[in-house]
Amino acid sequence: MIEAVTTLVTPTFLLLVLGGTFTGIVFGAIPGMTATMAVAVCLPLTYSLGLENGLALLLGLYVGGISGGMVPAVLLGIPGTPSSITTTFDGYPMAQRGEGEAALRIGIVASLVGGLVSLGILWAFAPTLADFAIRFSYVEKFLIILFALTVMAALSSDMLLGIFSGVLGIFVALIGVYDISDGGNGNLRLIPPGTEYWLESGFSLLPVLIGLFGLAAVLEQAEAGVPRGHSAKDLAVGRAGGFRLRMLRGEGVNLVRSSGIGTFVGILPGVGGSAASILAYSNAKTFSKTPERFGTGAPSGIVASEAGNNGLTGGALVPLLSLGIPGDSTTALLIGAFTLQGIQVGPLFIGNNPDTWNAMIFAMIVANLAMFVMMYAAIRWFALVVTVPKHVLLPVILMMCVVGAYTINYGIMFDVWTLLIFGVAGWLFTKLRLEVAPFIIGFILGPSAEVYFVKSLESFGDLTIFFTKSWIAWVLWGLIVLSVAASASLSSRRRRPATA
Amino acid sequence: MLYRKTILAAIAATTALSAPLATFAQELPRNVRLVIGSTSTGGDTYQNSAIVADALAEHLGINVKVDAVGATEAFKALERDGRGTTLMIFHDQSYLGELYGRQGYDDPFETYVIGPTVAINPGNAYLASCDSPYQSMEDILQAAADGDRVRVAIQPGGVSEIGFSAMKYAASVRSPGSESNIVAVNTGSQSDKNQAMWDDLADVINGSIQANEQFTQLPADDPKCMRFVWITARPATLEAAPAEGMGDTTRDDLLQYATPNVDVTLGEDGPFTFDKEFFFLFNPDMDPAIVEQIDTALTEIFAEGSIQERQTGSFFIPNFLPSDEARAHLSEKRDTYEQVISTIADDAS
Amino acid sequence: MGDLTRVTIDFERSHLVFPTIVAAVLAVLGLAIVLRDRRRIAGAGAHWRGIWRDMDRVRFLGTLALTLLYFTLMVPVGRIWPNTGLGFLVCSIPFVLATGLLFMHDRGWRQVLPVVAVAGIAPTFVWWLFTYPFFLTLP
Repeated sequence: MIEAVTTLVTPTFLLLVLGGTFTGIVFGAIPGMTATMAVAVCLPLTYSLGLENGLALLLGLYVGGISGGMVPAVLLGIPGTPSSITTTFDGYPMAQRGEGEAALRIGIVASLVGGLVSLGILWAFAPTLADFAIRFSYVEKFLIILFALTVMAALSSDMLLGIFSGVLGIFVALIGVYDISDGGNGNLRLIPPGTEYWLESGFSLLPVLIGLFGLAAVLEQAEAGVPRGHSAKDLAVGRAGGFRLRMLRGEGVNLVRSSGIGTFVGILPGVGGSAASILAYSNAKTFSKTPERFGTGAPSGIVASEAGNNGLTGGALVPLLSLGIPGDSTTALLIGAFTLQGIQVGPLFIGNNPDTWNAMIFAMIVANLAMFVMMYAAIRWFALVVTVPKHVLLPVILMMCVVGAYTINYGIMFDVWTLLIFGVAGWLFTKLRLEVAPFIIGFILGPSAEVYFVKSLESFGDLTIFFTKSWIAWVLWGLIVLSVAASASLSSRRRRPATA
Repeated sequence: MLYRKTILAAIAATTALSAPLATFAQELPRNVRLVIGSTSTGGDTYQNSAIVADALAEHLGINVKVDAVGATEAFKALERDGRGTTLMIFHDQSYLGELYGRQGYDDPFETYVIGPTVAINPGNAYLASCDSPYQSMEDILQAAADGDRVRVAIQPGGVSEIGFSAMKYAASVRSPGSESNIVAVNTGSQSDKNQAMWDDLADVINGSIQANEQFTQLPADDPKCMRFVWITARPATLEAAPAEGMGDTTRDDLLQYATPNVDVTLGEDGPFTFDKEFFFLFNPDMDPAIVEQIDTALTEIFAEGSIQERQTGSFFIPNFLPSDEARAHLSEKRDTYEQVISTIADDAS
Repeated sequence: MGDLTRVTIDFERSHLVFPTIVAAVLAVLGLAIVLRDRRRIAGAGAHWRGIWRDMDRVRFLGTLALTLLYFTLMVPVGRIWPNTGLGFLVCSIPFVLATGLLFMHDRGWRQVLPVVAVAGIAPTFVWWLFTYPFFLTLP
């Protein structure tokens, strides 16, 4: 390792990691721009940079992009990237209480821990874990998704309406083609007659997300007449005081568990990046002593979400580097960086390219530390966003939502209309007392739930397979039952004081 | 009266204005959007298109932007724009999708204008697990003839299925009726196909030289170990690959798995082969002069020779055919596959 | 047990399996909500009238109208200068300006000037960023 570090790690290499991390944070922090987009934009540059330097840039972008998403999630209630959705649940309430800076500090620390834990796991166990991951067939993957879906119940303030919203999210996600590249048969369903031209591929996630969280928030402001003053006049910058380690007291288990969950979700190909923070969040809530505080501005929620999504970064590299299979959408692009240089990734990669492997680990360590330093130093600057008058901030947010929606799939106008449709839908939701958080979780997980459920039955032809497949299935069932029971007891506890 | 005069004047003015525009339209505009049939910017379609886009942009002094919008959206974008500002690059999927009756695909030979071919990805392959009883295509076809079910993991409806269809065809030539013993396991991505093999849901999987070669180098007792049973490329295509081949598999090793060493026969039509070829698609209303301009530019680019280095560096085979030749070649290729697919479909019904 | 739990899924029709299940669950949940909240649903008319009465109609409907106009014009304007992203730039400047003015309360010079500046600078910067360094497509 030391040898590789001295030969491959040049000042250029370090500068690229730092520049990548910085750019990644900026991408992540702008609603509608994602880590994946940052990597896609910079991928062509790596051809001339060479393999190690190119990877340095891309890995910096990856770590920065995943972390930057927390900034708008906390300060504006708009997740900067899909993986920071769960950060809004507690981060934004904290910001509204005037604790935005504290929330960011907690998130940044959790991100660093998540990143480093997953990196440690990647470095120590990559091939072993990949062998374990391939024991997850359609059945186990379906159960993981089902477990993640149970968080819908935990997130609902009204259980019935919340679950309805979540199932509605799944339903809306199924609109369009049953995607062949996911294993479907390519047929259309649930499309209102006459809309096939637009709805053939269904709605894509990012426009739906920024519509529900971004545009809907602007519409609510407009409805209320755009109250004077700052975007969160209830938020006083700097008043929260500095970060104290005390805030993280009692979060040790949560930090490690969430980082581990994030890493593990990354390792499983095909479960999807956003599932990492959702699973970490639902676990933290299930095992918390004070589950009722989640969703109202509990630091534990931010810790779980941010440790989870940064844990993903190291995890997603495990199947990439030991099987040649990407763990999430961003690492899928990293394959391109390798093939551009004529390097194969597969089970022999680490053994054949030990120097590149060590350089990658080193780049990830530097990127994580740089992310921490840069974001920590910039907290005050980030917080300035909320001092911008609303009549200036909101139009620019709208414009950025449009840019994000249009560019996410490289220029599809229907994605911009999706933004509007779901902006209005999000506004209607609050009026109908439907809940946005379970809806978006259903929307994200719906397509995977479908493929893994249908494929399980298609392959094994028996409903009992969900119980008999392996011991892993049993463990997952245990978690599902535990999570449902926890939500049910929380819901009845919440109701009792009201009825008594 | 005055009103009419104004209109006439306006028309005259517009014609005068559009005259230079019309001459201008005979070449590519300054800003060209190149849409591709894949949504991945890390995949082979994107890489090939980026190589060609860079070369064209530099040669003609214009901007060419590659947009990975996916097949359905790319066809839509191409249909909307007859001015030459939107071009498309895709591969054999564009007509295979239609032959397999997939949603969102029209016959590209009728709906669009087929342009020059630029490259081949020679990697399409079929693999079996190391501990599988089927160690070669011969074993597979024999097993089917003997009445054993052989399960093949593919992504249905295109490039991944065409080799499977040929396998069924070959089985029917060898022992009529045995093709029904070769059954598809419908999966999605490469990762799903590999997983199907490891879960023992499939005996044979569709894969590629690039993505699966390292698995063939694993020790035989590793449960992930695979071996090639068939590489669908024409031997001439593989001959054009670098001699060191891919990873630890040399070109000569690869040729062992291709025709004539592996025979997936189409009966009288000889052996079946499939090369994944990348080519341009144009809007039918686009000025033919632009097609000519692209043909000329690519001829000069390929004559100069540096594009080939970039292509082979990423394990692609340079394959430039100007529009007319490309159209004839692809149309013939399509007809062959149409016959394979329709024969199999008839047998199934 | 064995036969009861067996299922065969026809691949050609497999796209309907999950939507059917989800639709059924949705219908059951919907029914449960209707039964539980029937009183609230009966009072929906008043609820919506209240929302309509209390809302800032100019700002709300104005935002919707401007957004609709913005989205509708972007592509046709962009086609005048194909693949340059100018459709985005030309439409965004007036949109940011108009929504900014719509959202303001005191429209004095001192307040309007920053809005005008932002409407000019923000879209131009974003357009430049996406067209040159990022090389991404805008309308």
